[in-house]
Amino acid sequence: MKKIRILLADDHKLIRSGLRLLMEQQPDLTVIGEANDGRETVTLARSLKPDVVVMDIGMPNLNGIEAALQISQANPEICIVMLSMHSDESYVLRALKAGAKGYLLKDSAESDLIKAVHAVAEGKSFFSPAVSKVLLDDYVRKLRRSGAEDAYDLLTPREREILQLVAEGKSNKDVANLLNLSVYTVETHRSNIMEKLNLRGIPELILFAVRKGIIS
Amino acid sequence: MADSREQTGPDAVPDPQFSQRARKVRFLLLVSFGWLLALLIGAGLDAFASLRRLDAVSQEVSQRFSARNQAVVGIVLSVHNYDDQLERFLLQDQLSTPAPEIPTLDQDIAAMRAALGHFPIDDDPDAQSLIHAIQQQMQDEANTFAAISGWAANVRQQRAYPFIAEQLIPWRTHVLQLSQQISALSARKLALDNLAVAANFQTLESHLMWMVALALMAGVLMSLICGWYILRLERQGRQRYQALARSRLELEGLSARLVEAQEQERRSISRELHDEVGQTLGALLVEVGQLSKLLPGESQAAQTQITHIKSVAENAVKSVRDIALLLRPPMLDDLGLVPALEWQAREISRRSDMEVDVQSDHVSEDLPDEIKVCIYRLVQEALNNAASHARAKHANVALVQDSNRIHVTIADNGSGFDPARSRGMGILGMEERVRRLGGTLTIESAPGKGSTVKAELPLRSASAS
Repeated sequence: MKKIRILLADDHKLIRSGLRLLMEQQPDLTVIGEANDGRETVTLARSLKPDVVVMDIGMPNLNGIEAALQISQANPEICIVMLSMHSDESYVLRALKAGAKGYLLKDSAESDLIKAVHAVAEGKSFFSPAVSKVLLDDYVRKLRRSGAEDAYDLLTPREREILQLVAEGKSNKDVANLLNLSVYTVETHRSNIMEKLNLRGIPELILFAVRKGIIS
Repeated sequence: MADSREQTGPDAVPDPQFSQRARKVRFLLLVSFGWLLALLIGAGLDAFASLRRLDAVSQEVSQRFSARNQAVVGIVLSVHNYDDQLERFLLQDQLSTPAPEIPTLDQDIAAMRAALGHFPIDDDPDAQSLIHAIQQQMQDEANTFAAISGWAANVRQQRAYPFIAEQLIPWRTHVLQLSQQISALSARKLALDNLAVAANFQTLESHLMWMVALALMAGVLMSLICGWYILRLERQGRQRYQALARSRLELEGLSARLVEAQEQERRSISRELHDEVGQTLGALLVEVGQLSKLLPGESQAAQTQITHIKSVAENAVKSVRDIALLLRPPMLDDLGLVPALEWQAREISRRSDMEVDVQSDHVSEDLPDEIKVCIYRLVQEALNNAASHARAKHANVALVQDSNRIHVTIADNGSGFDPARSRGMGILGMEERVRRLGGTLTIESAPGKGSTVKAELPLRSASAS
């Protein structure tokens, strides 16, 4: 079986060695490199072409978000898992916009990290359960205080289906094949979804899906 | 967070020594001006009285002169009248007119005497002797008449003309001469009196001049003293103002450095906490996780202990993170201003009853760090005040950037306050931050009306400084 090749990026050696130990215990994971800061991460990602980059969000010399942006622009096939101390949606959204597929809190369980690496390697998204909870709490609280309606309730069952598939990273064509629809119809549904939920771009759509627990 | 609504006390403390001196100077000034005024009024009243006196004297002089003249004229007329009557008496035989009676002539003599008695004699010996001469002549005439009246008609006819030529005409001439002398005498007296009046007037003039000169000198002296005192006060005022301005400038510089130092300190402590303590704890957690895997499955007690250690370490990680976030949120560096403000808005919403909306328009990503920090702290302070002091339910943060400024508005619907009276440390801090960047801060609020904090920050000068 082909092992998943991982690049670790964190400015603390202790953390890196802990993470490496954790990964190497898995039979299908191998750590092919370690980077000390954002710039080194970008360089190593370009030269080593890892399958997955596990990266701290707060690093000196180019922070994790900037580094993720550069990596995903240069090599879109590299999947990025962000490690962060912050569960706030500002961070999650920025990470998503920078091209990250996974978002993990640093104090999440080790099993979550392993799950996240596997998920992104398969092209899926992964978010710490704690993040989903914070996002949902914020959303619900805001709805309750402002007395607004949950925009999700406005979606038709078909639109909800499409929302989930798009959030999971499927292209319009994949969705059309899966649901036996034309690409044009899928596109129409998608723009309706975006309008109803008042979203701009895929990252916000993914964030919304995470918030509602549609994906994790 | 310190209470931002605390009252600041009055800062004007009166200097007892200074006010006592000022009172003394005021009293002296009052006395001097009073004295000057009294001098002027006294001089005026004195001059007025002197003028009236002079006027009375000169009037008296002219009255005396005219009385004398009238008396002289009266004497001359009465003498002439008598002489005429006498002439007619003597010529009664040659003329056809009726002769006057003897008693009429006696009456004329009495009238002459009366006219003479009217003359004011004064103490002038010349006038006395002249009057005396006239009296003498009158006596002579009266005596002569007594003789004439006894003449028989033929004697009268015979002696009338010679008597008139030899006695009556020289008498008349003599009286006229005497009266002329008296007139000359009184004219001389008038001239003398006028001289005395003129001398009196001169005395008054010099007296007045002295008074005016004295008043003028006193006035000049007073104004010199006052001018000197005013100049001294002005100089003191200027010195005080300069000292005040200097110390204010120093204070501003100091507080600016304080804000800067505070921000610097917060940043380094935050980084230290996050990087050293936080990461070490994180690594510890990973190690503990590894340890629990290495332990044989049946040692349940050890596993429980490890779980406990993990939860303690997790709590420590959490508090370290919270402290580091409060000191210097890495969002500002990691995400930029607007997402950091949105984070802060949500953070406040999570721990209070207040919902916060953040709106931004054309805000660029690469604002200077000091502007970002300033706005971030401004919003932090205002939202904290709104949530904890004003107990607002909703707040709105708006950011608008135009070509060379950035406008920040934080409005809440809380209980509000009176910005003219409450100036707590929090508001002072906000003002200081904004002023340091050359911007302006306005706070609009009234009890029960919510409050709005508005800041306007220039972009060019901030990046230039």
